[in-house]
Amino acid sequence: MVKEIIVAFVVLILLAGCSQERKGFSVAEQYGLAYAPVTIMKEKGFLKDSLPGVEIEWKQMANTTSIRESMVAGDLDIGFMALPPFFIGADKGMEWKILSGLSEVPLALVSLDEDIQSLSDFDESDRIALPQPGSIQHMLLSMAAERELGDARYFDDRIVSMTHPDGMHALLANIDIAGHFTSPPYIFMELENPKAHVVLTGKEAMEERFTFVVGVSTDKFSMTNPLWEDAFKDALAEAVSFIEKNPYEASQILSKSYGLDEEKIYEYITREDMLYTLEINGMKKIHDFMKGEGYIDDLGEIDKLVRGEG
Amino acid sequence: MVFPSAFEVAESLREGIFEGNLIVQILYSLELIGKGLLISVFLAMCVGYVCLKASGFKKIFETIVALLHPLPGVALLPLVILWVGTGKTAITIIIVHGAFWPLMQNVLSGMASIPDIYFKVGDNYGFSTSEKIIRILIPASAPFLIAGLKIAWARAWRALISAEMIFGAAGLAGGIGWAIYRSRVFMDVAGIVSGLAVIIIIGIAVEKFVFGFIENRTVKKWGMTE
Repeated sequence: MVKEIIVAFVVLILLAGCSQERKGFSVAEQYGLAYAPVTIMKEKGFLKDSLPGVEIEWKQMANTTSIRESMVAGDLDIGFMALPPFFIGADKGMEWKILSGLSEVPLALVSLDEDIQSLSDFDESDRIALPQPGSIQHMLLSMAAERELGDARYFDDRIVSMTHPDGMHALLANIDIAGHFTSPPYIFMELENPKAHVVLTGKEAMEERFTFVVGVSTDKFSMTNPLWEDAFKDALAEAVSFIEKNPYEASQILSKSYGLDEEKIYEYITREDMLYTLEINGMKKIHDFMKGEGYIDDLGEIDKLVRGEG
Repeated sequence: MVFPSAFEVAESLREGIFEGNLIVQILYSLELIGKGLLISVFLAMCVGYVCLKASGFKKIFETIVALLHPLPGVALLPLVILWVGTGKTAITIIIVHGAFWPLMQNVLSGMASIPDIYFKVGDNYGFSTSEKIIRILIPASAPFLIAGLKIAWARAWRALISAEMIFGAAGLAGGIGWAIYRSRVFMDVAGIVSGLAVIIIIGIAVEKFVFGFIENRTVKKWGMTE
């Protein structure tokens, strides 16, 4: 009897240890200029000023899937990703909502092959590199394939899943990859190659403006720490306006984080088509396309997926 | 969502087989592994032969095995992609790298385990080198060779799955690694489990039928193992 009680106590103590009160929260971003406001916010310490004493853990993850899995595991509270992976998560029952938009940037399918000027020029053996199936790049390619070739899944068996830097190297090394669907700064870097040209832009595929990256928070985090969440959103807005008002200083900060030339970054972030904004655009169109193609079920009223709306 | 029920996994398997292209993916994976293993066995036999002929080479080769065997195939991937692209060849190279070294290590250990007197008896019978290989080397080191093949088979799977999960489909439908990767990005946990189940089932079948058959015909028949 005494033994059982001791064991029960040990288990209870261990369990209690697991459910410690949290002293902070964690945020994950990915690599690329589209995430610039998050980097600025972190480096300028905007959040520290409004939430003194709260420990914030910043993580940089290689892909959306890892971010989503960390959020399922309860290891991550806020993550940044494109809309399609968010919809897939919501469709599979993840309890999360969009906190805000972050950026609208030019996306494009780039090729070095002169013979490839439109989607129909890719032949059977040509393969296209993009971050992963179910990514925004994959959905844009499918949208354009449906319109131009009559089959949204036309390229599904010919895509290669590669991180942006790997895809860029594979394209420029000209081995085996006929096209690379990517985002800034890789798209700008690729286009510096005289042979490189754009086969399809994200805008052409989507036919309307759309948000590339959104910030997503778990319902659990939002319910238990609404003040932290509000402060996070405010700090994000501050970072967005900082980039707009101080592009030089922002370039200096980003250049250190990304290991890219300061002037190049200045040139990139001040381009007209690089837009940092908390607005969210294109949700309905992407949702309806994914639903139509059977990637997700109907998620109902789209506004309800945005925190504080619907 | 995180723990799918057995029913969901079975349903996902059924869908994969009858509505998807799971069978094509299985065959594709097996083709790559089979090819990679054949190349590894052939290479191991050639190197084994040279080692038998020249003991100086054997020492050098033992060092090479010790150096290259621990290198994970995944770490070589970026180089392989740059050299040969992302197609079947790249995956085959990674499979051969995964399978060849453990196989070679076992071949070398097997050779070392054969008492010298066996070869002397061979000399007395006037065996040529190829006769020595077929009639002395292979049978006497069979338990090592079979153990090496088993390790090579397992390593080949690991290499295939990691290569496919890292750089995606190499053919029309890709292999099982790609199927698991796709399930992962679409948050289809039942799909991931069913992919793993397929690998386990194939593993059991090969262990029982292929290796079981070889063992029954050789080392068990010769009384070398239980």
